[in-house]
Amino acid sequence: MDALTRDQLAIEPARVLTAPDLLVGSSLPGWHAAGGGIGLRRALEDRAGIIGVLERAGLRGLGGAGFPTHRKWEAVAAQPGPEKVVVCNGNEDEPGTFKDRFLLGRTPHQVIEGALIAALAVGARQVVMYVNPHLGSVLPTVAEAVAAWRADPVLLELAAALGGPVTLEARASSGRYIGGEETAVVAWLEGSFPFPRRKPPFPAESGVHGKPTLINNAETLAHVPHILRHGAAWFRSRGRGGAPGTKLFSLSGDVQRPGLYELPMGTPLAELIEEHGGGMLMGRAFKAVFTGGPSNTLLTADHLDVPLDFDSVRARGSRLGTGAMIVVSEGTSIPRRVTEFVEFFAESSCGQCPPCKTGTYQLATLLHRIDSGHGTRADLDSIRQLCGLLPGSGRCGLIDGAVTVVASSLERFGAEYESMLRG
Amino acid sequence: MSAPGPMPPTAIQRTDATAIRWIDATAIRWIDALAACAAAPADPPAPDAPALLRRWHPDAQPNATEPLRVGASAGMRCPPALAALLQANTLIDDVDVAGAAVVETDVLVIGGGGGGCVAALTAVAAGRKVLVVTKFGLGDSNTVMAEGGIQAAVGAEDSLQAHYDDTLAGGQRAGDPTLVRTLVSEGPAAIRWLIGQGMTFDLDESGHNLRRKRAGGTSVPRILSTRDVTGLELMRVLREATLLRPGITVWNRSPAVELLSDAAGRCRGAVIYSLYLHRFVTVRAGAVILTTGGAGRLHINDFPTSNHLGATADGLVLAYRLGATLREVDSFQYHPTGVAWPRALRGQLISEAARSLGAQLRNGRGERFVPELSPRDVVAAAMLREIGEGRGVERDGCVGVLLDTPGLERARPGVLAQSLVSLGHVAHKSGVDPVREPMLVCPTLHYQNGGIAIAADGATGVPGLFCAGEVAGGIHGRNRLMGNALLELVVFGRRAGAAAAGLAQAAGPGGRANLDHVQDWRRALVAAGLPLDARAPLLFPEIANFDLTADRAPHRAPHRAAAVAA
Repeated sequence: MDALTRDQLAIEPARVLTAPDLLVGSSLPGWHAAGGGIGLRRALEDRAGIIGVLERAGLRGLGGAGFPTHRKWEAVAAQPGPEKVVVCNGNEDEPGTFKDRFLLGRTPHQVIEGALIAALAVGARQVVMYVNPHLGSVLPTVAEAVAAWRADPVLLELAAALGGPVTLEARASSGRYIGGEETAVVAWLEGSFPFPRRKPPFPAESGVHGKPTLINNAETLAHVPHILRHGAAWFRSRGRGGAPGTKLFSLSGDVQRPGLYELPMGTPLAELIEEHGGGMLMGRAFKAVFTGGPSNTLLTADHLDVPLDFDSVRARGSRLGTGAMIVVSEGTSIPRRVTEFVEFFAESSCGQCPPCKTGTYQLATLLHRIDSGHGTRADLDSIRQLCGLLPGSGRCGLIDGAVTVVASSLERFGAEYESMLRG
Repeated sequence: MSAPGPMPPTAIQRTDATAIRWIDATAIRWIDALAACAAAPADPPAPDAPALLRRWHPDAQPNATEPLRVGASAGMRCPPALAALLQANTLIDDVDVAGAAVVETDVLVIGGGGGGCVAALTAVAAGRKVLVVTKFGLGDSNTVMAEGGIQAAVGAEDSLQAHYDDTLAGGQRAGDPTLVRTLVSEGPAAIRWLIGQGMTFDLDESGHNLRRKRAGGTSVPRILSTRDVTGLELMRVLREATLLRPGITVWNRSPAVELLSDAAGRCRGAVIYSLYLHRFVTVRAGAVILTTGGAGRLHINDFPTSNHLGATADGLVLAYRLGATLREVDSFQYHPTGVAWPRALRGQLISEAARSLGAQLRNGRGERFVPELSPRDVVAAAMLREIGEGRGVERDGCVGVLLDTPGLERARPGVLAQSLVSLGHVAHKSGVDPVREPMLVCPTLHYQNGGIAIAADGATGVPGLFCAGEVAGGIHGRNRLMGNALLELVVFGRRAGAAAAGLAQAAGPGGRANLDHVQDWRRALVAAGLPLDARAPLLFPEIANFDLTADRAPHRAPHRAAAVAA
């Protein structure tokens, strides 16, 4: 869904990751011409200071969790031994999210350079670009970009600094939604089905084949070379209202101009919809936004003023997630959308934890009955019961996300469900 | 949701053939014309077809067409009445199908005319479960009005090549050679299939061979017929077969209001409105076949029409929204011999069978002005020329030219009663005795030459969506020959049915079916600055007084009304 064109990009201010001159595809000279390589150079000059810069910049994990990046890096760096792994997570498969496929498909070098800087910071000699193979030509583009870096002499400098040869490779992920979960990434890279595992141990302590493993989202890593090049203060100044940096928002649903928008972190929801998304389609009334996974609490009309950053959205009881904003207007049914998402979760459940395996299936079945006009009040009561029972019953967060979106839609749009019941 | 969009203001009112906008001329009085016809006429002059069509064909008139501004065929020209529908907003929203019953089938056939029945019978024979939905009743269609016959190269002196050449040339060489080749080469098999289904055809004097008539624009006699009720006979057989066949479900009075698609843009079914239940029903299907016919009821270029009440371009509208491309939608066929008088029957068809049996056309001076078996577009244009240049005939304010049925009866006594049954019916309704009095005729809007672009298996540009019959384009080019419409619906109905059955087997009815393409369509309308208050498909023409909003069951919860109003 590369709705983004050069023209659109040109009129948007404050672009860091999606500036037009960065959209060079797999061309490494193009990336160097656009200022690439400087961040890595700075990192090589002051290896010990890298994590400190990130801490001062306030970079957080942009794959959905919002965990401070420097703390994750510190945890891996603190592990003993040279056998460590850095994984760039480009498994993106959530409905409504299309940011990583843009970064990796159109401007992959900043992501790779970020991963190399991470390797330098934490002392890892193995770097894996873990990419969803179902995203058109994204994986081949990343593979070409990786090949270009392998031929670059800077890798030798990196090896010298790390005390041994550095391996850099692009690996196809399973392409399954669950394959983006950290421990599932580890399982897949070890050659197994991407089953999430119990935590602890966290991958930072014991990841791929027991090696300490740093797993960061592609968007997070993409920011790293820019931060090292321009400094922490510069990065902080890209944001609004105290939130640092920029964020890629995947805007979809009932707006006039859906697409990918890079905006300052902390941009209000209303501004994203009205100024960037061209307003609600056909001028209809705003009903709600599904954020992130879409596995979070709905943002409704009361929350149009919320600044879109991790803390502000959390303060309203929801989560920013991946930055996906699926907008729903009057005229579109909330229960139908929720049914679609829960069907996705039911299909995506790995089936390892029985409550998730049967719970997502039951939720999807009950919702489908309501959606197709057979639902009764008893079905709705069963859904409510399941929403009370299921949270926390899986190893990963899939079941929690599915329940959250159902429960919050029931709470705010219960009347819509009721109106669809039989009789 | 609001009522189906209003008809363009000019469309219905001008059923008066004397009031064709761009023709303003005097005419010769009926009794004077009859007197002039007493003498035997000279042979007609050979027409200069290209010049005639440029000057006098309705499609060639200024302002007859305008370019489309959105959609897969943006820039293509089509009549304004059709453009208004093709570029209209949808009838329904996502909330309208929330809680609608879901029905699953392998193959969904939209349209219950000849093409729909052929496609359904073929798909069910391949082992698929088939649902046929039609907005009237099964067989209630234009197919039954096809009077002349069906072409197929079955004669000893005939050949596939001759049929191919005639079809392509008759269509001003605008047809797709692959489609035409498919049409003609499967013609004999189509006739065999129809006979196998139980259809009867007229036999020649020997009583052993199929009787063949001559069609306008053809090189050899090739029309097979059942007197002049061929379409009715074909529909009778197919309708019975469809109704009796287990595995086919038929929903009457159930218009399709929107197609459904999945995330990959593949057609996955349709939203049906049931006039019995007063509710929407969601049909999920592995493949969808559109056999919705043409657009005559839009009264293109203000012409009266021979078409059935259901010919409102619904299929074109639905498919175009989903991304199907169109072709030759600026080209319509005006059948030369529509009733011009009496006023109440204006536009009703008099079969080309009359001319193929030898009936002549005479102007107000009693002259023959065009070879009667020229292609239809040429004959119609020549008639409009006669009327436009003051040689038309006027009767009670209605203008046309004369179809010399008394002359035909004199030349072949008894032919009217034996072979022109439906002409007799029309004459009877008109209060005319065709043996003694000629019919006053004027071109009538008859057929949509173009339509949705298809491949040889009926596949459109949208995966999972197939077309057959009049709704499909590319076979007849810019003018259809008599008898090729029935052949087309059989040949391409069978092909689309088989291809859809194969696809449905491969895919199954699964996959989430959504209305996401509707939002994309609306974005395109907004971006192009087109109005959003016009709604389509029309479903029923204005004279049907149908209002979907008013017709819907009012028992649903109030939030829905509010959501719709927003």
